[in-house]
Amino acid sequence: MTDQPTVLVKDLRKTFYDESRGEVHAVDGVTFACHPGEVFGLLGANGAGKTTTLRMLSTVLRPTGGTATLMGRDVVGEPAAVRRSLGFYSASTALYPRLTARETIEFFTRINGYPGDLVPARVDDLVRRFGIAEYENGRVGKLSSGMKQKVSIARTVAHDPPVLIFDEPTVGLDVMNALEMVKVIRELKAEGKTILFSSHIMSEVEKLCDRIGIVHRGRLLALGTLDELRQETGQHYLEDAFLDYVKRAEGIEGAAELGPAGALEGAEGDPLGTAP
Amino acid sequence: MIGTLFRHEVRMLFRDRRTVLIAVVAPLVLFPLFILASNWVEARESTRLESQTYEIAVTGPRAAWAEEIVDAAHALEAGAPEPSVADGDPAGPAARTGEVDRGSDEEETIAPAAFLRLSAPAPDSLLAAGALHVVVVGREAVPDDSLAPGTAVLELRYRADSDFSRNARERLQERILAVRSAMRDSVFLGAGFPVRLGEVAVFEAENLAGEGREGGSLLGGLLVPFLILLMLSGGSIVAADSISGEKERGTLETLLTTATSRRDIVFAKLGAIMAVGLAAGVINVVNVGVYIGLGVLDLPDNLRIAVGIDTLLVLLLMVLPLVAMVAAALLLLSGLANSYKEYQIYFLPLFLVFLLPSFAAFLPGIELRSAIVLVPVAGISVATRALLMGEGHLLWGAAALASTGAAAWLLLRRTEAALSNERLITSVEMDEAEFRGGAALFPRHVLRWFVGFWVLLFVTSLWFAEELGLHGQILFNVVGIFLGGSVLLIRRYGLDVRETLQLHRPHWRAWPAAVVGAPSLLVLAIGLGELVNTYLFPVPESMLEAFGRSLTEGLATWEFVLLLSLLPGILEEVAFRGVLLSGLRKQMRRTWMAVAVSALVFGVFHVSLFRIIPTGFLGVVLALVVLRTGSIFPAMLWHFLNNFLATVPVEQGWISLEATQGVPVAWYGVALVGAAVSWLLMCPRPGQLEPAPGGRPARTATPTGAPERDRAGLAGR
Repeated sequence: MTDQPTVLVKDLRKTFYDESRGEVHAVDGVTFACHPGEVFGLLGANGAGKTTTLRMLSTVLRPTGGTATLMGRDVVGEPAAVRRSLGFYSASTALYPRLTARETIEFFTRINGYPGDLVPARVDDLVRRFGIAEYENGRVGKLSSGMKQKVSIARTVAHDPPVLIFDEPTVGLDVMNALEMVKVIRELKAEGKTILFSSHIMSEVEKLCDRIGIVHRGRLLALGTLDELRQETGQHYLEDAFLDYVKRAEGIEGAAELGPAGALEGAEGDPLGTAP
Repeated sequence: MIGTLFRHEVRMLFRDRRTVLIAVVAPLVLFPLFILASNWVEARESTRLESQTYEIAVTGPRAAWAEEIVDAAHALEAGAPEPSVADGDPAGPAARTGEVDRGSDEEETIAPAAFLRLSAPAPDSLLAAGALHVVVVGREAVPDDSLAPGTAVLELRYRADSDFSRNARERLQERILAVRSAMRDSVFLGAGFPVRLGEVAVFEAENLAGEGREGGSLLGGLLVPFLILLMLSGGSIVAADSISGEKERGTLETLLTTATSRRDIVFAKLGAIMAVGLAAGVINVVNVGVYIGLGVLDLPDNLRIAVGIDTLLVLLLMVLPLVAMVAAALLLLSGLANSYKEYQIYFLPLFLVFLLPSFAAFLPGIELRSAIVLVPVAGISVATRALLMGEGHLLWGAAALASTGAAAWLLLRRTEAALSNERLITSVEMDEAEFRGGAALFPRHVLRWFVGFWVLLFVTSLWFAEELGLHGQILFNVVGIFLGGSVLLIRRYGLDVRETLQLHRPHWRAWPAAVVGAPSLLVLAIGLGELVNTYLFPVPESMLEAFGRSLTEGLATWEFVLLLSLLPGILEEVAFRGVLLSGLRKQMRRTWMAVAVSALVFGVFHVSLFRIIPTGFLGVVLALVVLRTGSIFPAMLWHFLNNFLATVPVEQGWISLEATQGVPVAWYGVALVGAAVSWLLMCPRPGQLEPAPGGRPARTATPTGAPERDRAGLAGR
């Protein structure tokens, strides 16, 4: 792990407006940094703001405030450059059912700006690496969910980006496929990729993540390694630590008028993760 | 990258069998089938009507007389010309067919038909029951007929809701009329009036237009609607699939997180839609051609024209922006719709919006050299017809091309913005401006309001011009619409009056700048008008004269000053350089665009097309005056002076009208110097903020300054 962060998020905010709910602060001042060879996990309940944060990083949503850079490129100023160095995987990013597995990988390799003459060799590599060869000429629409998942991962890493985002990648997968996913993420980490991973499943986060950010109601309640979180809360299990943070935040929220929110103290320790 | 995307789109498309079937194959079979079927139905229908024996009954107090005429009519030979009376021949009674004089006389022949006269006790009830086709009533005139008492009347009763009854009535009437004219002639002859054919005018119609022109006129008129129909039917399926479909399948987010730019995506999808539409068009034309070549289909004579390869190429060029525009509109629709279903709901209005103007070429009296070229689609429709009639005109054709092309471009830009819209990905219902409403929403709505104002102004001038008179109309426009509309918008959106209208005290130098600038720019505007008139769009002299008269007729000098100079000077500034310009500046990316659009709207409000250029020019100048001085007051003075100088001196006879048309060249030099001096005199008012006093909407208030950069990014409004 080097000290140069590949992902830098500062005071990122996103506000939505909705007729029934009014002004919704989906992300409310989130700050963190990630480094090569690191798996950074965002842990939070559904609707905590994980996906919104990651979508802002992928330039699909525009921040309402704050900044975010990937490989030194600003998500607002240079969205195309940001997307070139990014692979984005989520349960909601589907594949084209009418393309074959191989065509899918080739298409995404090309449109992500991989040098044209190297594309066929790259596609061969990916097909071999993810064990797609058997069904590379089958239409994606007819593949099993496990096969689709492999093709999806292959298309995410197709252009060999330095930063990878996996937004709740195991949602809806069976145990075997979820394990496969964890295995792939570990391999990618070993290759020196920066990986952002979000989940609401404690065990996955415990297993995979080098550092964990606990997100609740758009805010980062805590940030640190598993051990640091355990130490701070005095809880052994991540689940208990998580509940601890949430309770503290809710308690403070009730007394918010009294002064600046102390709930963010946990996050303020070393928000940019510059300590080794 | 765009090439990869385009290939991808086309590949996806052809793997969707439905698309290929419905967009390409279906019309391939359906169009010839349609033509064949309609030919067949028509032929069958006419033989059916011909072979039918119509059953009629005669009744009434003068039934015997009526029967005689009906029998005479029945006896007329089918296909024979109407009976006519030869020179000097005292023709007998009605039943006789006169001497036939083919060729020089009427070409109308009597359609073949067979009648069977039945005697029935209650014919009317049989007619009602459908057992009879026509009832002939022979009677004397009743007071209601407003005829002399005692006149014999032959009344044909039929049922308009029955094809056969209607047809029987037509055929019978045709024959009875022929019998009657023969009877009349014989009566005249009997009374000693010589009836000679040579003394009766013979009616002839001769078509002076060559066959090519006639065919060109019809084909040229049909071409654009046909093409739009094909584009809309074929392209629509592709378009629906390309954004709404991706949205529904969840592949849109995958695509949007790749390194491709939104623009590349839009253009690749546009290319695919155009390709399918064009392919469908070409295949269908070739297809119909093959059917005709095989002799399966018959092309109507008046559609047979020879088109050279050069005309064909120009035609293709004319049609391209049209195809692009339809494709862009479909794509935008697909981008705005949240689902297939929503897309379908919006499709019908879009369909009509395109199809109606495409029939512009059929409007009576429409010519290429008219304002119609500025209307997208309609312009192309008229231009292709002119082209096929051999009347193409380079400049006007180019104008039609440009207007449709520009519309296509605007639609594409909107589609690109739609792809950046976060609502594509999230389930967000509103954005900030909609949520906050009021002043934040105003810039987005300002153009819509002005379109509404324009419609009001236009409709009023159309319907109530007489009632209002010139005074009333000017007062209604200036006070009612411009002032009233401005007040309405300011109140409704809660705008800051001072900032919106730029009610600031200008630097003192702005006043002499206006005094020097107004006459200088007026002279330059005259020069510009001359240039445009000579080299671009020659405006008919008669039009200019008529306009000048209608405006000045019957106005006293004080009315010129008050109604045409002072009121517009103040109130038009409030509306156009105040409300409109301030709204547009917040909405538009660049100030020059706001200036251009506000000037265009200002021009359009001066209803006549021929005033768009001079008023648009004035609009640009006045907008610049407001921007440079940071105040609306010098623009008001300028506008007043401009209108005053343009009307009063001529009206008062200080200058002759001719003098304003042939300005000596030296004047232009002086005017240029005056304009430059005026520009230099104008300087920002004390305390004027650079560059935008109104500032951008509330978004600017975010702590990071992100909105300053969002222009370059994915941001869509």
